[in-house]
Amino acid sequence: MALSLKNIKYKILSIFPILLLLFVSFNGNSIIDFNFFSINLHFIIVYYWALRDPDNFGYGFIFLSGIINDVVYGLPFGVNALCLLLIAAVAAYVRVVAVRVTLVNDWISFVPALLFANFIYFLSLYFSSFEINYLSLFKDSLFTLIFYPIMWALFSFIINLRKS
Amino acid sequence: MDTSREDVGIAFRSALLVKGTKQKFSLIALVIFSIILIFLETIETKPLNYIRSFLKDTVYRGSLVISAPSKGFNSFTNYVSTHINLYKNYESLKVENDKLKNNISESKFLELENTQLRKLIDEQITSNSDLVSARVMLDKQSPYINSFIINSGSNKDIKNGMAVLDGKNFIGRIVDVNFFSSRILLISDLNSKIPVIVEPSGNHAILTGHGDNNPSLQFLPENHQIEDGHKVYTSGKEGIFSPGIPIGEVKIKKKEIKVFLFSNLDQITFVNVKLERANNN
Repeated sequence: MALSLKNIKYKILSIFPILLLLFVSFNGNSIIDFNFFSINLHFIIVYYWALRDPDNFGYGFIFLSGIINDVVYGLPFGVNALCLLLIAAVAAYVRVVAVRVTLVNDWISFVPALLFANFIYFLSLYFSSFEINYLSLFKDSLFTLIFYPIMWALFSFIINLRKS
Repeated sequence: MDTSREDVGIAFRSALLVKGTKQKFSLIALVIFSIILIFLETIETKPLNYIRSFLKDTVYRGSLVISAPSKGFNSFTNYVSTHINLYKNYESLKVENDKLKNNISESKFLELENTQLRKLIDEQITSNSDLVSARVMLDKQSPYINSFIINSGSNKDIKNGMAVLDGKNFIGRIVDVNFFSSRILLISDLNSKIPVIVEPSGNHAILTGHGDNNPSLQFLPENHQIEDGHKVYTSGKEGIFSPGIPIGEVKIKKKEIKVFLFSNLDQITFVNVKLERANNN
């Protein structure tokens, strides 16, 4: 089987979400801070790709990425991994029950995913005696939700590019 | 009604329990494993600590390599902005230099007076603390966590709780030690609470971080006489750190007593770790 340009493009774009996920965790960019607000890029990546392309987005990688993120940010092992897996669980559930792929469907179902993940984040850190700034956590969730359509458009473009 | 409940059950099971064709692990198995890991974090045993240290050292090295391009980009933008602000900095330094020249004569006199007074009360200033210099490997800061990773750990006798200095200024303490790396919790972090003393008013307080670069003073007496420009030092209370390490300067903003740090936490490349903890003396 000859390696055509199309094949190479397909392969690269197939592993793109995993590479992005691991890059974000290692680089410590899971939360992008803009001083007044912050965006949790990690949540968006996991939710979108677990919902739209689970075959190329293994749960094992999500777990690994969460553990790396915990180490980089100095959180107890497992906190981020658990949050990301819960996001992926909501995405998996939505994937099973949803009939059509639309931005509005995805966006609305992202709300419970964020709520679950942040609730677990809060609980794990609370019991690990980490102090949390509730306002920052709320602002982070809100702006992550607002920012979702932009990332949705970008990731959808990548999926379309792969298909073409 | 029953049918819809069954549908939800089926969807739930298929989402959580069923592995996809290309998935190696089911979601529920990984969720349970994560919960076990969180509980394991509370257990302190030697083998577990070794595994944790090894894992952390490995991830830090990986992170150092992967974040190299973005670090390079940041230093380039810093370089450009420094050049853009060159003239402005020159003007302000000129003014500062004039001020300092005026203060030098006064400070020399105070120095002399201080030495004489110390001799008088027969006080010997001895410091049994050794400093270990380390390079900042990673400075990952988020709205929740403000910390640095440095490239020295238990291999250089660093232990939890030791004070970390930027030059002579206090910037944080060691909270996690691995074989070849350690984590510094910066004074700007939400979880940082440092006993301090404010001079010349002499009030004791707790310096609390808020996630930004300006921590604030808390637990002050009601009739305190703190004003703008007063200096903040570690108090050495409860034997956590040596007393008298400079931290910053007071600025009162909307009745909140903020501390502007002597060190710019965004521009730190090397730090000194004070090897002796005050309570180990």
